[in-house]
Amino acid sequence: MASESVNPSPRPVSAKIVVSGGFGVGKTTFVEAVSEIPPLRTEAKMTTAASEFDDNSLVKSKTNTTVAMDFGKITVEEGLVLYVFGTPGQDRFGFMWGDITEGALGALILVDTRRLADCFAAINYFEERNIPFVIGLNQFEGAPLHQESDIREALDLPANIPIVRTDARVEDNATETLIHLLAHILDTLSQQTAVAPPAPPEPPPTPTREAPVISNDLRARAANALAAERSM
Amino acid sequence: MGFHEDTAEILEDGPMARPYLLTGGRVRSDAGELAVEAMVSAAEGAAVPADSELAEIFALCATPNSIAEISAKRAIPIGVARVLVADMWGAGILEILQTTRSDDIAIVRRLLDGIRKR
Repeated sequence: MASESVNPSPRPVSAKIVVSGGFGVGKTTFVEAVSEIPPLRTEAKMTTAASEFDDNSLVKSKTNTTVAMDFGKITVEEGLVLYVFGTPGQDRFGFMWGDITEGALGALILVDTRRLADCFAAINYFEERNIPFVIGLNQFEGAPLHQESDIREALDLPANIPIVRTDARVEDNATETLIHLLAHILDTLSQQTAVAPPAPPEPPPTPTREAPVISNDLRARAANALAAERSM
Repeated sequence: MGFHEDTAEILEDGPMARPYLLTGGRVRSDAGELAVEAMVSAAEGAAVPADSELAEIFALCATPNSIAEISAKRAIPIGVARVLVADMWGAGILEILQTTRSDDIAIVRRLLDGIRKR
C-alpha cells in the first residue's frame, strides 16, 4: 500500500466531464476554449493490454492505429480540478469511450445542425449509461438556424435535456455552455437523491353515482393521441 | 522527442512489452483500473527510481498530474502510463489522489459555483 505521508497542501480532487459528438464537430475547439492549459493529446493503441489478454486469438490483424483523445484542465479552485475529455470521433474506436466516460459527471454532446445524424451514436451512448448530458448546437457559419423544438424532435430528446447554442471557438460562450452542463448535472443528481415527490393531487372523485372509470388503456391512447397531435 | 534510448526502443517495439515485464505480466495492478483523470503525486521521501522513464514520471509528479497528463506529457500511450503509475504506486513511489464519484452533488456544486465566478 502507498505510505500515508503527511502533505500540508490540500490534496487535489479531480473530476471529469466529456465532450462528445461527431467527427469534426468542434470537440477539441471546445476543450481549447475552456481549458487553462493548451489541450493535451494522449494516445492509445488499438491493441490495448486488456484486449490482447482477453482475446484468445491474440492480435488478429496487426495494426499500428492509434486513437488520440484531446483533453483540457480547469483548476476550479485550489484543490479541485475538472478535466474535460473529448471522445475520439470515430465510432470504431468506441473501446476508448469506456475509459473516458467511466466516472464522468456528465457530457456535452456537440451537434452540427447540418449533420444531425452524426451525434446519434453519442446520444445513445450516454442515454444507455444514464450519464447526464446536454446538447450543444455548435454554430457553424452558414448552418441553418433550426428551431430548438425541431431539433428536439429530430433527436428524439426528452424535454428535460437542455439544448444550448454554443460557439466552441469563443471562451465565454464555451464556459457558459459548461455552466449549463454542470447545472443540468446538479438538477439530475438532486432529483435522484430527492425523496420521490408526492403524486400530483388527484381531482376529488365526483360524487356522482356514475363516476367514470378511466382505464389505463384509455389513458395510454389519450396520451398517444396527444403526442401525435403535438408532433404535427 | 527527448526520450531516453531505452524507452524509444520499447515504444517502437510495441509499448505493451515493457509494462508486462515491469508488472510480471499483470495487466492490472493491485491499484485496480486507474481512472484517466486520477491524479498522482510523488510520495514524500521516496527515492528517485533508477529507470529513466520512471524517473521522468516521478519528476513530473512533484506536482500532482493525472494519468492522462502523464501520458500526454511523456508521449506514452495511456495504457502504458496507467500500468507504470500503478506499478510505482505499488512500490510506494507515487501516491494516488482522490477522484470524485460521478454522483457527488457537493463536488458538482463547487464546480458550478467556481466556474460561474470566472
